[in-house]
Amino acid sequence: MPVIKYIKDNKEDIVTLWKKQMDEERPEYSNYTVPHKTMETANENFIDVIFDYLNGNGGESSEGVNVFIEQILQFGWPLSYLTSGLQVFRKVVMDVIDKNVTEAKDLLGLYKRTDAIIDPIFNQLIKDATETWEHTVSMQKSALLELSAPLIPIMEHISVMPLIGTIDTERAKLIMENLLQGVIDHGAEVVLIDITGVPVVDTMVAHHIIQASEAVRLVGSECILVGIRPEIAQTIVNLGIELGEFPTRSTLRKGIETALEMTKRKIINIAQEDGQ
Amino acid sequence: MRIPILKLYEYLLITIQVELDDRTAIQFQEDLLDKIHETGAKGVVIDLTTVDMIDSYIAKILDDVVKMSALLGAKVVLTGIRPAVAITLIDLGINLKGVPTSLDLEKGLEKLQQELEG
Repeated sequence: MPVIKYIKDNKEDIVTLWKKQMDEERPEYSNYTVPHKTMETANENFIDVIFDYLNGNGGESSEGVNVFIEQILQFGWPLSYLTSGLQVFRKVVMDVIDKNVTEAKDLLGLYKRTDAIIDPIFNQLIKDATETWEHTVSMQKSALLELSAPLIPIMEHISVMPLIGTIDTERAKLIMENLLQGVIDHGAEVVLIDITGVPVVDTMVAHHIIQASEAVRLVGSECILVGIRPEIAQTIVNLGIELGEFPTRSTLRKGIETALEMTKRKIINIAQEDGQ
Repeated sequence: MRIPILKLYEYLLITIQVELDDRTAIQFQEDLLDKIHETGAKGVVIDLTTVDMIDSYIAKILDDVVKMSALLGAKVVLTGIRPAVAITLIDLGINLKGVPTSLDLEKGLEKLQQELEG
């Protein structure tokens, strides 16, 4: 006996049971506050989609399933809604079969065939979900990369690179490249590296910063390390890191003053000049 | 092959526009020192804008040239080191400590002038 026909014949029963069980399952993902009405509509759609899929004799017409999965994922609903929906469906089908078929041999065959129908949907679901997430992750990665090491020319011959967040080897490489290219592009004589937003400076981070500043010196510019917080100063000394090779300042403001001195300029107060 | 060394007042200008191999580099070292001795130049600018690659040997020669020139009483400034070259050098662990550098030829000359005056 083809299992699809069997499921279709018992559609009424299955749908009612499924909806009832889905309502019971609801608490599992109820931290997403979805109105009851929306939930019901979604459930209606869900079961329709499953039956549409079965009507296509399984496998061939998975278009509807794909669309539905994408929709759910786009709304940001939890994946567990879909998985539990399918699990409940399988359970309900099994229950109905169990109630009507008594022969053990038939029963096993039906079970197997039910699995064979439901499993492809599961696979599709997982594939779609992971694709969506991978896409999101790669988007965020590239966004993060863009934000990770900007070099800002604040005035002639002076540029600032504010660093925020932890620095790993990959990012350090990017920082170095952006820094050097920026120095050449802007013709910066002094570059201020601001580490106010770097939470931890360990030997690794310090090593990267020292390397970057040495490279900057090689291309013919100079580096000032600014934004050193007291606790960072403590860790640097406690770790025995030697930063004596290039100037350091506590704040960006002081760094800019130093940079101006190095390029033989200074900020003057116009009002004061007028008064004299 | 020889790298041309140009004299401009009391400075010597060198733009390296060929790929530096070991022999050229050694030849250049000798030529430059002879020239400094001959002209009594006070400052030297070596421009590396068109150099794509510097290996550890060339880097050592450049480092040596700077020290040797200092012995002859001439200050050397390296200019126009490219980002990629700088990164390679740093990766090789060569930081050319004590070698003055500048962004380009013009700034290199300015730097020399300042140091010689100051």
